[in-house]
Amino acid sequence: MRNKIKVYRAMHDLTQEDLARKIGVTRQTILAIEKGRYVPSLDLAFKIARHFGVNIEEIFIYGEDSPQSRPG
Amino acid sequence: MKKNTFYLLIGCIALALLAILWYSVEIHRPLLIEAAFIAGIAVIYVARRRVEDLIEDERSVKITEKAAVRTFQVFWVVFFAFSIGAVMKILYVPEFPRSFRPGRSPAILPPRLMGYIQLGLLCLMIFLYVGFRIYYARKYGEWETDEE
Repeated sequence: MRNKIKVYRAMHDLTQEDLARKIGVTRQTILAIEKGRYVPSLDLAFKIARHFGVNIEEIFIYGEDSPQSRPG
Repeated sequence: MKKNTFYLLIGCIALALLAILWYSVEIHRPLLIEAAFIAGIAVIYVARRRVEDLIEDERSVKITEKAAVRTFQVFWVVFFAFSIGAVMKILYVPEFPRSFRPGRSPAILPPRLMGYIQLGLLCLMIFLYVGFRIYYARKYGEWETDEE
């Protein structure tokens, strides 16, 4: 799962800390999502998309392997 | 309550428990440290609910869940294996052909040894949990750094 959070953050001039506070997660979670280390829940993904005022598919692109889909 | 206050409280409780443990050993009253330990954990749980800063989100919950499940998966096997051995010792099954050894009784483990084994199992569980937690925290980017 790829995502464009970093791009949208830059467009809205937001730091990871700002976005994290507005969404209600820690900065590490935003960082982990951006780096593809963590795939957010549907709820969190919708919150992020809604925060930027776009559809979820515009930020999250499904199709690549993620750490969560791998066993172990 | 602020996050740092909460962590400070945990430190104070740990120190208090250590002192109570010492005193409990001195006066030979295990009930004292047992009650204090339960009370201490209860205080931590109550205080945790009153922390205003964000200390947990869905990613940290996932890390905790994964670590707990993996710990359980490994621990129950070790515990089961030990329990089978202990039950074998407790259950006195007559041998065939019967050996007439007078005064032979089921070999039950002495309480001191049982205590050490319990302590060992507890330490194993803690080490397993910490190990799995570190593994999953790293997997889900806990210590990632960014150039931001």
